[in-house]
Amino acid sequence: MLSWLRTALSSALFAALIVPVWMATSAQAEPVRLTWLMWSGSEPEVVAWKHVAALVTQKYPDITVEFQTTSFPDYWTKLPTLAASGKLPDIVSLQSLRAPGFAGLMEPLDARIKADKFDIDSFEPSIFKGLARDGKQFALPYDFGPLVLFYNHDMFVKDGLPVPKPGWTEADFNNAAKALTKNGAYGFAISEPEAFLAFARSKGARYLDDKGELDLTNAGLKAAFTQYAALVSQQKVAPLFPASGMLSSAVANGRFTSGNVAMYVDGPWQLINVKKKANFTVGVASIPAREAGSLTLTAGSGFGIATTSKNKDAAWKAIQVMTGPDAEKYLADAGRAFSARKDFQKNWYDVAAQDVVGAREAIAAALINAAPLATTPNWSVVSALFIQYAPLAYVGSDTPAHVLDTIQNLASQ
Amino acid sequence: MQPVTHRRTRYRDRGTALLFLLPSLLGLTVFLIIPLGASLLLSFSNWQMMGETHFVGVANYIRLVSADPIFWKVFRVTVVYTVEYLFLNVTISLAMAVWIGSLSWGRQLFRLVFFLPTFTPLVGVALVWLLMLTPGGVIEWGFASLGIPMPNLITEPAYALQAVIIVSLWSHFGYNMLLFGAALESIPATYTDAAAIDGASAWQRFWKIRLPLISPSLFFGTVLTAITSLQAFDQVYALTRGGPGAATTTLGYAIYSQGFVSYRLGYASSIAWVLFAVIMLLTAFQLRMQKRWVHYDV
Repeated sequence: MLSWLRTALSSALFAALIVPVWMATSAQAEPVRLTWLMWSGSEPEVVAWKHVAALVTQKYPDITVEFQTTSFPDYWTKLPTLAASGKLPDIVSLQSLRAPGFAGLMEPLDARIKADKFDIDSFEPSIFKGLARDGKQFALPYDFGPLVLFYNHDMFVKDGLPVPKPGWTEADFNNAAKALTKNGAYGFAISEPEAFLAFARSKGARYLDDKGELDLTNAGLKAAFTQYAALVSQQKVAPLFPASGMLSSAVANGRFTSGNVAMYVDGPWQLINVKKKANFTVGVASIPAREAGSLTLTAGSGFGIATTSKNKDAAWKAIQVMTGPDAEKYLADAGRAFSARKDFQKNWYDVAAQDVVGAREAIAAALINAAPLATTPNWSVVSALFIQYAPLAYVGSDTPAHVLDTIQNLASQ
Repeated sequence: MQPVTHRRTRYRDRGTALLFLLPSLLGLTVFLIIPLGASLLLSFSNWQMMGETHFVGVANYIRLVSADPIFWKVFRVTVVYTVEYLFLNVTISLAMAVWIGSLSWGRQLFRLVFFLPTFTPLVGVALVWLLMLTPGGVIEWGFASLGIPMPNLITEPAYALQAVIIVSLWSHFGYNMLLFGAALESIPATYTDAAAIDGASAWQRFWKIRLPLISPSLFFGTVLTAITSLQAFDQVYALTRGGPGAATTTLGYAIYSQGFVSYRLGYASSIAWVLFAVIMLLTAFQLRMQKRWVHYDV
């Protein structure tokens, strides 16, 4: 009797211990290794992205995301090269400005969004649309943001100048730029094309026509560029950068964080780098108001699935985590992203930008009249042409109007 | 019976020879002949990396010479760069080789010092030069301190190509200097001694004896330098990216720019073949001209 009882108990114990383990093992899927290509401009950014990749494995232990990176300008050379050689990563990063040109490499997500009842309402609608093309969604956004003016608060205070605030005008900007240009330092650093286009929009100029085609030769834009170039060529309140292939915004960022330049235009995603490098109090303000007001442009980025991926289901799971609440909170806290999810935008203000003067007011004011930075499919070419040809206007060897004619002509080839 | 055996031996020899040649033949086919063929085929297509590809015949070539707004400017920049760089490179390296050869001490040290930049990666070198040449950099500061009015070399379109040439010269003249130096040293002293006894001046000994005797090395150095200068790319990429405007856009950089910035690989291939044709023609011309000034018999 006892022996029978012992056998029964042992069997029950065996079943209780072993069967769940066996079931769990059999339910566990095959491990999947996903590749993900993303641009980065500094070590803190790399650390942030690796953390995001690790979040995927944390939620899905069978999925590993292998992070690969390159600089932002090189990313747009590498991506089509990988596509041409059939070696696209599973997860592709996409910037809204480049969506018209590169969406073709990516899988439409609409069916998956619908099937999983993915909550798109928690995202900022403009950037969700910014990563769509012809009515199809190609990526889930992780960030977005208006172009704003970063300024060196210490330099303004030291000179007793009024600190830039939302609603400040072009005249205020010119006065400050002039006053702060001294002792080898400059009041402002130009960058193009995006920062220039935000200035031009505030002047009421446009760079795309009604059909969405590139229109750099209209009188309004030429006048705006003439004024913009004069900051370097005539007023000399901004330094001249050589056409070295580096993004002018990256050069401007370097000069700003080293304390050589008092103001420059960039997006909130740069806060991670500005905070790390600048040893002064940073301030953020909206673009100075001109004839049409203070009208900035927004851009953002996200992650999608390559059409060639053999692990699309796993990649879909991964990009949901990479743009999910945990990742968004982390990226906003680190200052790498002004979150595309509305709930986490406060983290950028309250955590990343807590020491930054005027951040909340500036972003809030900028977003009132901001418009998505619409682009053409060949925006990489337009951008490269600006880097190559705009210095001719800054150095004064060609007129700004003719430089725009040249860029328009070459971009239309 | 005899001829059959002979033939068999010959075939066997051929087979053995082919077997020995196979590794290099395979390498040549995979890494040179196939890519060359593929590039030629691409030049007749509109391949853009993404999207559909069509055969377009010679349209790329026609557009290049008749409709491209900057092709002839790029061509001119390449020719100016090649002529100026080739002349300066050969002159400076020859002068340096003669000078070092005349030193009674430190020849090896100077040779090493001037040769060092040749095996330093040009991209890294160009970045350091960029920092020195940039507005507000060391070079501008140096000229300003000396009170010499000097425009900035890389932002002024009229001077930007000169900046590229200076960096290329600094980086590359050491190779030819070493080549010419070795040739000069191999000239038997008896030749120049005999000429000196006959009353030839140092200048005459250089022009009439030493220069003709090193003409094969001079020819080799000139041909190779002409080819590499026509292909100039890395110094342009790292220093100016073809700018400002198209002031420093060489054919080599235009190939990269069309291929990897504009993603027009078919069109870029057509520029590559034009460059290939130019190099072939120039090299053929140089080979033809060598009969007039290169002396192989001592």
